[in-house]
Amino acid sequence: MLTDWFPLWMTLRVAAAATLIASVCGIALAYVLAKSSFRGRSVVEAVVTLPIVIPPTVMGYFLLTSLGANSTIGRAWENITGSAIVFTPTAAVIAATVAALPFVVRASRAAIEEVDERAEAVMRVAGHPEWKVALLVTLPLARRGIVAGVALAGARALGEFGATVMIAGNIPGRTQTLPIAVYDSVQAGNISDARNGSLLLAVIAVCALMTMTFLSRRKS
Amino acid sequence: MKIRSRSVACLTRGQLIPAAIAAVFLTVCTACSNTPETGSIPAQSDILVAAASDLRFAFTEVGERFTESTGQEVVFTFGSSGQLREQVINGAPFDVFASANEQFVQDVIAAERGWQDTSRHYASGRIVLRARDGLAMPNALSDLVRPNFARIAIANPAHAPYGIAAKEALESAGVFASVKDKLIFGENVSDTLRLVETGNVDVAIVALSLVINDQKPYVLVDENLHTPLRQTLVVTRTGKNEEGARRFVEFLLNPEIAQLMETYGFVVPIGEES
Repeated sequence: MLTDWFPLWMTLRVAAAATLIASVCGIALAYVLAKSSFRGRSVVEAVVTLPIVIPPTVMGYFLLTSLGANSTIGRAWENITGSAIVFTPTAAVIAATVAALPFVVRASRAAIEEVDERAEAVMRVAGHPEWKVALLVTLPLARRGIVAGVALAGARALGEFGATVMIAGNIPGRTQTLPIAVYDSVQAGNISDARNGSLLLAVIAVCALMTMTFLSRRKS
Repeated sequence: MKIRSRSVACLTRGQLIPAAIAAVFLTVCTACSNTPETGSIPAQSDILVAAASDLRFAFTEVGERFTESTGQEVVFTFGSSGQLREQVINGAPFDVFASANEQFVQDVIAAERGWQDTSRHYASGRIVLRARDGLAMPNALSDLVRPNFARIAIANPAHAPYGIAAKEALESAGVFASVKDKLIFGENVSDTLRLVETGNVDVAIVALSLVINDQKPYVLVDENLHTPLRQTLVVTRTGKNEEGARRFVEFLLNPEIAQLMETYGFVVPIGEES
């Protein structure tokens, strides 16, 4: 049905990597935000949430100016690895991760705050260190919220377009994800590829959301 | 006892879900890394060409001919020249940048992203009027003031050379002020064509190269109404395949391919340097 399957694989790989990174960083960040009160906590929270509220193009612009070949980070990366960071699959992962992160952080934080403090206190009284309390009690009890956040993050990563097209570009067979391939097909007047790509993305998204509902409805 | 067994069950479940997610990730990643034959993952020797979107049909055929004669694949990214210029300046790994004008290539060279000695004027483009199906074609730009042309698409003149040419032509024809509020900007010139093909605008000013072979009517716009679209290209310094890029440029400029470009409505300069 698709004339070229690369964009689908590219999208799945980018979304998987981005969801994984966003989940690990996001859950850790959510834990810190929920459990500690430090100066500037609300600032950190606002900055993390920013990708939900600003247009993806603005995010793309920020990423391009901070990681582009003419930026400090971009130049340092080029010196170390020998190639630019932008317009590579890595750049697509970065864009999708930044877009997905807030969904993990917000859902996880709320879920972690809901956890009954008495359950944690029992572990502490028994002399277990804080990291053990987090891994064995807090996070497992907050898992439904966390899973919901991770699923939303995955869906967002799958559909990321605006920032990706700006920092990863539209290079067929290199950085072209399925949403970008759909856009390109529409522009080329290739309506059948655009339709098939769109249907495929819709089916994947529906499956992801149904899985999420299934997981969060399961009673423990 | 009961309580404890419940909490143990919940712990296992809690670990099960992340484990299941991790398993899915791993499967996907492994599946992907083991399937190099899926899609068209380009080899290192492929030539990446960033090309103005008016070249979409012409260059696709040029690319096929090039692959036939050299065995080397060419991968095209089409977009507005202005957007592609930004990508090249920001380090995008294209080997060739084929702009729809001269200025953007000069910008790339000025930013030390292009090899000056490879800059070539390879074709000149023309703009045309195209009406949506079922609507009578305008005879000239001055007809666009009529109320039956309620929406007019041009490529975004902020970064698309064909949009700049369209805007200049409307200005020279003295109708820009009266049609200004009816204008809709396409992302690039092929997006602009799509707007009229899908019937979402009444008329569009697009590249001749995109409509010349589709058997539908169009009206040429007088080329004296706008700055000539001197389409220029350059081999970039950001690519990985400079040798292949130079070969592609040489191939594009040979007389046989020049003839092919003419069938797409381009005027090809002969015996002209840069």
